[in-house]
Amino acid sequence: MNGTTTTAMFRAAILDPAKRAHYRLAWLSTVDHKRIAVLYLLTALFFFVVAGVEALFMRLQLALPNNHFLHPDTFNQLFTMHGTTMIFLVVMPVVFGFVNYVLPLQIGARDMAFPRLNAFGFWCVPFGGILLHFSVLAGGAPAVGWFAYAPLSETPYSSNLGVDYWAIAIFVLGIGSISLAVNIIATVISCRAPGMTMRRLPLFTWINFVNAFIIIFVLPVLNAGLAMLLIDRLLEGHFFLPARGGSAVLWQHIFWAFGHPEVYILVLPAFGMVSEMIPVFSRKPIFGYQFVAASSVAIAVLSLGVWGHHMFTVGMGRPLDLFFAISSLLIAIPTGVKVLNWSATMIGGRLRLQVPMLFCIAFLIQFLCAGITGISHAVVPLDWQTKNSYYLVAHFHFVAVGAIVFAVLGALQYWFPKMSGRFLSERLGRWTFWLMVIGFNMTFIIQHFLGLLGMPRRVFTYPDLPHFTWMNMLSTIGVFFMAAAALILVWNLVVSFFKGKLATDNPWNAWTLEWATTSPPPHENFHALPPIRSRRPLWDIANPDRPDPIVGENSSAITVPDKNKVGMLTFILSEAGFFMTLVLAYLFFYVHPQPGPTPKELDVPRTLIFSVCLFASSFTFWRSEIAMSKRQRVSMLGWLAFTVVLGGIFLVGQGTEYWKLFKTGVDVSTNLFATTFFTLTGFHGLHVLLGLVALLIFLWLAWRGDFASGRESAFESAGYYWHFVDVVWVFVLLTVYILPLLR
Amino acid sequence: MTTYQFLTTAWEWNPTLLLICSLAIVGYFLAFGLRGQPAYFVGALAILLLALVSPLSALADGYLFSAHMVQHILLVLIVPALSLLSLPRSLSLPRSRATFTHPLIGWVAGVGAMWLWHAPALCNAATTLKAVSVIQTISLLLMGSVFWWQVLAPRDADRLSPLAGIVYLFTACTACSILGIILTFAPVSVCPAYQQPVDRLGILDVIRGRWGLTSERDQQIGGLLMWVPMCLIYLAAILAQLARWQSDPSAHPEKSHA
Repeated sequence: MNGTTTTAMFRAAILDPAKRAHYRLAWLSTVDHKRIAVLYLLTALFFFVVAGVEALFMRLQLALPNNHFLHPDTFNQLFTMHGTTMIFLVVMPVVFGFVNYVLPLQIGARDMAFPRLNAFGFWCVPFGGILLHFSVLAGGAPAVGWFAYAPLSETPYSSNLGVDYWAIAIFVLGIGSISLAVNIIATVISCRAPGMTMRRLPLFTWINFVNAFIIIFVLPVLNAGLAMLLIDRLLEGHFFLPARGGSAVLWQHIFWAFGHPEVYILVLPAFGMVSEMIPVFSRKPIFGYQFVAASSVAIAVLSLGVWGHHMFTVGMGRPLDLFFAISSLLIAIPTGVKVLNWSATMIGGRLRLQVPMLFCIAFLIQFLCAGITGISHAVVPLDWQTKNSYYLVAHFHFVAVGAIVFAVLGALQYWFPKMSGRFLSERLGRWTFWLMVIGFNMTFIIQHFLGLLGMPRRVFTYPDLPHFTWMNMLSTIGVFFMAAAALILVWNLVVSFFKGKLATDNPWNAWTLEWATTSPPPHENFHALPPIRSRRPLWDIANPDRPDPIVGENSSAITVPDKNKVGMLTFILSEAGFFMTLVLAYLFFYVHPQPGPTPKELDVPRTLIFSVCLFASSFTFWRSEIAMSKRQRVSMLGWLAFTVVLGGIFLVGQGTEYWKLFKTGVDVSTNLFATTFFTLTGFHGLHVLLGLVALLIFLWLAWRGDFASGRESAFESAGYYWHFVDVVWVFVLLTVYILPLLR
Repeated sequence: MTTYQFLTTAWEWNPTLLLICSLAIVGYFLAFGLRGQPAYFVGALAILLLALVSPLSALADGYLFSAHMVQHILLVLIVPALSLLSLPRSLSLPRSRATFTHPLIGWVAGVGAMWLWHAPALCNAATTLKAVSVIQTISLLLMGSVFWWQVLAPRDADRLSPLAGIVYLFTACTACSILGIILTFAPVSVCPAYQQPVDRLGILDVIRGRWGLTSERDQQIGGLLMWVPMCLIYLAAILAQLARWQSDPSAHPEKSHA
């Protein structure tokens, strides 16, 4: 490929205003992963400015003791919005943006596995952002913290609509995140180029592949919790209200079962970014690829079981404290392995101290500090003392800014030439870097000491105690450095986009596939792919006399499973997490019966009959699949229609059961049993209903003859969903209807 | 009785068990000689004895649910895993491979061993009736072996491909964690036999007083053992799968997703 001419051609096509006029609308309707990625990044940048200004206001309020610059309520709203926005509308979209842009390129794919789903996932972000911020106009922003602890988040204590908007917005954002995670997994498994075996994946891709699994496991847990919170608030349910038998601690378990893995969801992609940049700017392959790859899996698995360390102050009892302390300490091992690998990659390398590398080095140092204060939080007695102080605020900002934001800023400098065809200014980049490092450390190092001196977090002001004033003032001054850094960054982005130094296809002499195409890449990504035999295909081309050792078998043959099935199975995994949370919540309250209706009032034999219909529908669907594979159209349509009828009968059965309960005065708000019963069976019924809609669409398509020529995989994928809905019902039937009979 | 006295005296050297263990050692060397990994086999038997004759067994026998849980984990995860590792690499099952070596059977056996024996009725029966306890021990060893066969079978061809093995182990880990979570937070006793132990050895005062293990706390520790350390065993196995995948050039990672 003649790099220079193709680059010039594409630059002419993309940077010429006349030729890109039609793109204006195209940006709104695009399903191209590169444009969606840019949209993600721009959305994140917009909200970064919003949440940054919120932080600036908070620091201004805290600059002086006994300050009344902000009303206390406003302060509460600001820290809630700042936290929520930064996590869900800044870091997640920015990470998703990079993944969207780079991951398909790194594996030599033309696009993500499901481009339309990709667009849907992105548009959830602005939609969620608007919902969240609309609360400001609808009676006040939420003022309950980003964790929305019950019962403060319940109607009696937060009666305006802020929390409702917050919960719905996060719910929507969660759906967007899950859809992207499903897409990432299907893309990596099913859309790799010939030769790109799973063992040859670049680390950024591998880590984000692992990360997508955390997303599909834990975001549904949060969404289940949010659904319960909304049922409490809007339908007078009782999940998290202790006064009505609910459990505020249950909310904490659900939230942190999501919330702790969420930290890794945010930081693992940052690990992926530095794992790409450090080798390139050290001119060495990564030290111990296997260890970086495997430790990511270890982190992912461990992250699911350590949430209790956010709850040491709840009073869970010594056994729980002890086990969670141990598992939290363990997570330091795989993380430490990574730090060693990055450091060892740099040792003996020819370091090129350009802006991406500067950010990587800062990342390493800041993240090490964050890790050490993190470990200190696993020590239960220390945690009791520091949990609600600025020590914790300092810790998680070291993770969120010192690690994640620094890695992202480095990655921006690194991949911007690929995205735009132009370099970001190295000079302005250095200004951003130094202002950021100085401002960040000025703001947050001192907060460790403020916390240890006893300054609590989430307070709008503080008395004029010894050292408090100068420490807070210093912290506030630091924020202005960071704000200046952000301004220079925005200026740099704008100027460089139009006037930056032109970049070649592979401006950093990197080795992964995204650098094998033009900058910016053409719509279809690649005209031709280089042979892929190792983890650094471009190194092999540049150094034919000493290529990397071949990884795995020396063949470019790979077998990739069908993307529809992979996508559906992944989606089902996330749905399983959602229902698992609901079932566990049901069981949690089941053991303490409340006055009022109990499971004994349910009509078990009747439900069993309707259940048989549902289970039979799995069988009829299977028959329909067989008929389809034999190309027997009439038989297939018949069995499919029968499936729809059986599903319909089940729904009618459920509906009449609800109707009977309503008539005897039992609804969601009656007692905890009713709340949990209607939530669990209601969500299952909703899924059956959606499955029926899908089946009806398939019936219509089959009627038109769409499946005459095969395309079994789409049909079978829908079947997976239908069978899954039946399997969920097995569990619901056992817990709700059968379990009380055993007592 | 003090803790020290208890730890030194509460060994129940069951002659039948010792005979079985001796026969197993003799049988192992007759069958495989030194072709396998005898160290693993000796380790497996040592841990079997630890689980069944040591003070741990005395505690599990009616006193402490958490001790029962340790015993349970040793019998279902550690002993079968070490036994499989001790076999020579060339060994294959003689016949009917399809029945016991289907991954789904293995998975159900491994997860079922946890769920089934913690149904209150069965857990109680195993604690109070000696015969049920013997059946439980044997079934745990068997189910554990069927479970581990998928990842630790002597011949590589009998094992799941590494990435499929990770899925297998991770889902099993999740299924057992859920049970662990339920046991940890269940406010009612899962195994009522442990609530009011018959104080055969006169150590109840030590357990409740010196060790501070009330029956609630005991069950909580039992649940946590299943939730956290057991998952660490699965995690170790997952990492071993990754190591196998990354080191073995003849592995076919692509096969795993098919």
